[in-house]
Amino acid sequence: MHRARFTEAPAAWLLMTPALVGLMLFLLLPFALAVVLSFTNLRMASPLPLEFVGLANYTLAFQETALPRALLNNLLFALVVVPAQTALGLALAVLLDRPLRGRTVFRTLFFLPVVFPLSLIAVVWVLIFAPGPDGLLNAALGVLSFGLWEPRDFLNDPHWALPAVMLTSIWQGVGFQMIVLLAGLQAIPRQLYEAAAVDGAGRWRQFLHVTLPGLRNPLIFVVIVTTILSFRVFDQVRIMTRGGPQDASNTVIHEMVRTAFDQGHVAMGAAMSVVFFVVILGIALAQRRLLRQRGEVS
Amino acid sequence: MLLRAVLAYALLLAFTLVFIAPVLFMIIGSLKPDELVLAEAGSLRAFLPESVSPDNYRAVFERVPFGAYLLSSLIVNGLIVGLGLLVNAFAGYALARLRWWGREAMLGLVLAVLVIPFEAIAIPLFYQLSWLGWRDDWLVQAIPFVANPLAIFLFYSFFLGLPRELEEAARVDGAGVLRTFFLVVLPNAKAAFASVAIVLFLFHWGMYLWPLLMTTSEGVRPLPLGIANFYTLPPLQWGDIMAFGVLMVLPVLILFVVFQRWFVRGVASTGVKG
Amino acid sequence: MISRLAWSDPRGWVGVAVLLLAGCAGEPGAGDSERVLELWAHAGREAERRTLEAQIRRFEAERPEVRVELTWIPEGSYNGQVQAAALAGRLPDVLEFDGPYLYSYAWQGHLRPLDDLLPEALREDLLPSILAQGTYRDHLYGIGTFDSGLGLWADRDRLEEAGVRIPDGPDDAWSTAEFTTLLETLAAIDDDGPVLDLKLNYTGEWFSYAFSPLLQSAGGDLVDREPQGVATGTLDSPESVSAMRTLQSWIERGLVDPNLDDAAFTQGRVPLAWGGHWNYPAYRDALGEHLLLLPLPRHGDTLVTGQGSWQWGITRNAPDPELAMDLLAFLLRPEEVLAMSEANGGVPATHRAVLRSADYGPDGPLHLFVRQLAEGYAMPRPRTPAYPVISDAFDRAFQDIRHGADPGEALTEAARRIDRELRDNRHYPPVAAPTTGYRSAAFPALAQTIATESAEGAITAPDRQRPFVPAPDPGR
Repeated sequence: MHRARFTEAPAAWLLMTPALVGLMLFLLLPFALAVVLSFTNLRMASPLPLEFVGLANYTLAFQETALPRALLNNLLFALVVVPAQTALGLALAVLLDRPLRGRTVFRTLFFLPVVFPLSLIAVVWVLIFAPGPDGLLNAALGVLSFGLWEPRDFLNDPHWALPAVMLTSIWQGVGFQMIVLLAGLQAIPRQLYEAAAVDGAGRWRQFLHVTLPGLRNPLIFVVIVTTILSFRVFDQVRIMTRGGPQDASNTVIHEMVRTAFDQGHVAMGAAMSVVFFVVILGIALAQRRLLRQRGEVS
Repeated sequence: MLLRAVLAYALLLAFTLVFIAPVLFMIIGSLKPDELVLAEAGSLRAFLPESVSPDNYRAVFERVPFGAYLLSSLIVNGLIVGLGLLVNAFAGYALARLRWWGREAMLGLVLAVLVIPFEAIAIPLFYQLSWLGWRDDWLVQAIPFVANPLAIFLFYSFFLGLPRELEEAARVDGAGVLRTFFLVVLPNAKAAFASVAIVLFLFHWGMYLWPLLMTTSEGVRPLPLGIANFYTLPPLQWGDIMAFGVLMVLPVLILFVVFQRWFVRGVASTGVKG
Repeated sequence: MISRLAWSDPRGWVGVAVLLLAGCAGEPGAGDSERVLELWAHAGREAERRTLEAQIRRFEAERPEVRVELTWIPEGSYNGQVQAAALAGRLPDVLEFDGPYLYSYAWQGHLRPLDDLLPEALREDLLPSILAQGTYRDHLYGIGTFDSGLGLWADRDRLEEAGVRIPDGPDDAWSTAEFTTLLETLAAIDDDGPVLDLKLNYTGEWFSYAFSPLLQSAGGDLVDREPQGVATGTLDSPESVSAMRTLQSWIERGLVDPNLDDAAFTQGRVPLAWGGHWNYPAYRDALGEHLLLLPLPRHGDTLVTGQGSWQWGITRNAPDPELAMDLLAFLLRPEEVLAMSEANGGVPATHRAVLRSADYGPDGPLHLFVRQLAEGYAMPRPRTPAYPVISDAFDRAFQDIRHGADPGEALTEAARRIDRELRDNRHYPPVAAPTTGYRSAAFPALAQTIATESAEGAITAPDRQRPFVPAPDPGR
């Protein structure tokens, strides 16, 4: 029997190797390359010899490029989208967590945007954001505000460009939250509600004291995922605003792609990649620590 | 109580209509003449057209090789999901069930790599592969995404939770590790396969950044890049663009409606495991 | 009994292999006698695309053994695509690029000098501005089939209704002061306010191309044109700032239409449109006889306008450069040049075509463009590999200025950015062409060593019977 146990190693390695090779070649190696390149002056368009430049790319990235503004935009993005999308997703999940006629239809419809590619959503919303009173959103807001709304050119307005991108993200992502939270809701035992009702708790108090605690883990999950996704925004920015106007809607990844691909400054793009990774790592760790999931051994 | 239920229902209905409006707008727009799409966007005519015609759909096929884009998306995603299911399931099983000296290290590696978002390595990977001359084909859009730490972790969790009786029975029969895995464990992992397949599919179907960096030819261009490029191809005809959009989501929509229970389960499972 | 494993079945492996093979964007299975040319062109206006496709078909009809593979590249990521392909060694045989990018590609060694390939007769037929644009450090790397015209499109009736003076040539251009007054006069009688279209909806290169002439006519420029010249002191000079301030005032006073649907002029919302030759077909269709082409306003004593446009080059590793040149020579035949000119409104690139052109002849509606190029009013964009950075920096400054930023600060910031780029690249010293292929792009020091050691292998311009002197830069 001992021999059988240790001869599992060759089989294990056989099973593990394809994934291992993939992870090393396509995740670890480029990651290391990003760090190494960030200390050089590599450009796509330069036949000059490669040089080591130390931290120059990092200092330049923060002083000269749109990176600081982009980071700020991503932070704003997270601060707005995470609560909005989560609250909305929770509301929808609660609404759908009852025997309702056509519940599946509603669930399908809300989840629909999640299966739409972001680039498609971006293109359609460009049209929705069309300026002037003829634009769909402008017209709708005009009607809802009884004519008080002044038509805006959302995508070209420094104050509305980022909110516009936020709206498309929220629209696309709510379905995801809803599904995860709905599953979480359905996992809460009914007895807890019944017990609370017996104790005289009304609907709202039941929600606060039974539902929310019961949803702790799924909620933490969606918050973490949405926060990280807020820092990865790229598709809509590239298609709808190209970061404009004046970097009002620029994001870290968009600036990184602009720098490395459009301008060919690969080393600087690599430095931005490293900064981006550090930020993501920081967020993940911080949130994990702040909101330690129940039942998790740290 | 009845009033409350009716109110809630009405609220839900109203909200649903507003929520789904962009999709309706896209569908109706695809059936209208190009000039009217923007001109009528602000009126009810955006949703109730005077007349409908399939002209835009014909125009899409005349202006761009939509079929080629669809094929590229299918092949690339087929490779990612197909190969991904195998490669990641193998690794997940090895980590969950087998005893070997590298297990702790490999598990640590997978968990560590889980934190790295794609965008953090997009640029260096782009440079790395381009420098090797590998760009502008289907494989370069698929192979880098086959090994997926999240998928490995999902399989790992699943296999951990699988009852051991089946494997033990097979072992008693004298089967080796690999035979047990392929003949006994895999057939009982259908649920996991379905969930992971859907997660992989959802993540990668809408890929835009990577093809943007790595493709040039229309023959290998996937749909998400296709619509972005179509949007910038003069002349700007919104009806055609909306038609492209409808054509682009139709296959996924149908898949989704038919398999929605699996979709929902797959997405929910990431939440439970995460 | 445990049955055989599924994948011992060879059919499964064949399926996988087929799938993998299908995944490789296969090399065209060229027949033995077939010669293939790979061509990249920018996905421009529909008429341009249709014309080029037709031209290629005509070329293939004449040369049945030749097959041309055309790839349309979207303008928005054009340079990124070229650089990435260059890195991967996947550049096409024949490459189109926007004029000012030639210097960067030539400096990097991606382009093959055309001096020895270009037939003498063709060289003499080309307009001097085309040759000037395509020359970098004494070698010819690119030739265009059309040059650009930049001017002011106008609705004759609306101008006459407002009673404004209509210039009759480049020497008669409005001053910006006069122009501003004129705009206000037009606005007073206009329905919705804005009377000028500056193509603010365009992206990228337009702003540098269209508005640097305003700086130049004021006495400023994008960058000092001396060999080691920098942008600071020129781009942010008082003259340049003054020009941009004037432009900003037009926008801030509500005189400019944002042109988001790209139809402000064609739909008659504005009577004046800052534009170029490519607008001619659509504008002609919209206004017919009432369309007028006028020179840009001048911010100083003399008019300056832009020049230069897309041009073709042959890449260094093209296996059949003579065939590539045959294609370019075909595209430069008078009838082909005229076909493209008719499609996009560009100035025909050859003397013979100009003479045969109804639009560009002395009585033609577009003759102003020819006059501007021939009489020295057109100034080429800075002929430096740094141009993309200059253009991007100016584009950013323009967007800031257009949204209300102080022009002095915006231009100073842009100048700083440009100067850093110039410094980082050591003002682009001549680098020996890499002869070892694309991998040397990543190890240029290695490439340089190899190249200097095998100088005989490097492509040099052969001795010519007559020295080629590029047209002088009409610098001001």
